[in-house]
Amino acid sequence: MKRLRTDLEGRAAIADYLQAEFPFLEDAGVLSPYPGGRSAGLERLEQFQLEKYGKQRNFLDGEVGRLSPYISRGCIELEEVRQWALKRGKSNSVEKFVSELAWRAFFHLVYEEEGDRILKDMEKPKVSMRQHQTTLPEDIANGETGIPSMDTFIAMLKETGYLHNHARMYLASYIVHFRRVSWRAGADWMYGLLIDGDFASNHLSWQWVASTFSHKPYIFNRENLERYAGSVLPGDPRKGDPFNYSYEELSEQLFGGEYQPERSRTSGSYR
Amino acid sequence: MAALIWFNEDGLNPQHQMVQDYADAPRVYVFDVDYLQQWAIAKHRIQFIYESLLEIPNIEIYKGETVAVLRQLITDYEVNEVVTTETPNHLIKSWQDELLRYTSLITYPEVYPTIDSRPRRFSHYWRKCDREWLTL
Repeated sequence: MKRLRTDLEGRAAIADYLQAEFPFLEDAGVLSPYPGGRSAGLERLEQFQLEKYGKQRNFLDGEVGRLSPYISRGCIELEEVRQWALKRGKSNSVEKFVSELAWRAFFHLVYEEEGDRILKDMEKPKVSMRQHQTTLPEDIANGETGIPSMDTFIAMLKETGYLHNHARMYLASYIVHFRRVSWRAGADWMYGLLIDGDFASNHLSWQWVASTFSHKPYIFNRENLERYAGSVLPGDPRKGDPFNYSYEELSEQLFGGEYQPERSRTSGSYR
Repeated sequence: MAALIWFNEDGLNPQHQMVQDYADAPRVYVFDVDYLQQWAIAKHRIQFIYESLLEIPNIEIYKGETVAVLRQLITDYEVNEVVTTETPNHLIKSWQDELLRYTSLITYPEVYPTIDSRPRRFSHYWRKCDREWLTL
């Protein structure tokens, strides 16, 4: 056992010190934009424009709290954030935000009940996953899939230790359904990279995407990706675009017609 | 009874009730090297935790094997109680269980407006509990 120093000043000095104490860490090369601590969490809470959250939360450039590092690590308590939100009066934004806090609690309650069983399929998958590979391909781990949108999400994750929830879902869906990798391999990888890594929210969300903790697999198409994330993405080549299909076509391609989604809009700028 | 506050990575609040209740107790955190390596925990998370710990007055930060470090500190400080926060994290729970063989453990629960036993789908949970969640 070794006692670590607590007299360092400045985030860069801390980064250097931790790199020396934990030499097995990959050096991110940059400081995360999420400084640790309750005071930073409270500051973020004060800056959060909750009134915009209801309409903007699904957009990658929309107003979201980015509070999960602080809540997951317990710097600020979920209950105090809930009370903070409710004191702003009733609105669609407040209700949406509080329901997202309830999702976090729900995942924790399931984890509390199930223990490490959440690391295995909670339910039978609704589409076949028998052929899925059980290790994460290197091109994904390295952010070199060749699809600029997915590589951008992976780079964001590695450089900041955080991803917008919608980006997490896109990435998980890409890995599990488009690349046929087991949800567990993806979930373990993302768990380690996230500042807010939490087996409950992370692994159960991956299972939700995979369909082992939901009624259906979560997939997205080009239209959806452009609508919600287009403003922060570099643009993908049209040729060989795996996402540029209707949901019916994607379902056929990915699941061989095994799972039929409800009919959805097929129009859009890419169709 | 002499106590020691053991922070875990899911509970880094310097103003937590347990800190107020055990104001004179030593406060410790252990970076578990095996855990960090096994789960490939990224540097950003470790730095976030470290920076959060620096806001806890008189915190002592160690690296090593969690239970072994805590057992040593229990001996050094001559304490017979370890105070900590509840988490569903099965790895932290297993350390807590192991520690129980050597000392008594006081865990402060997570606070929710309501709980539901055996929740299965969020939609059911929300339909059942939304009123409690949306009431101050």
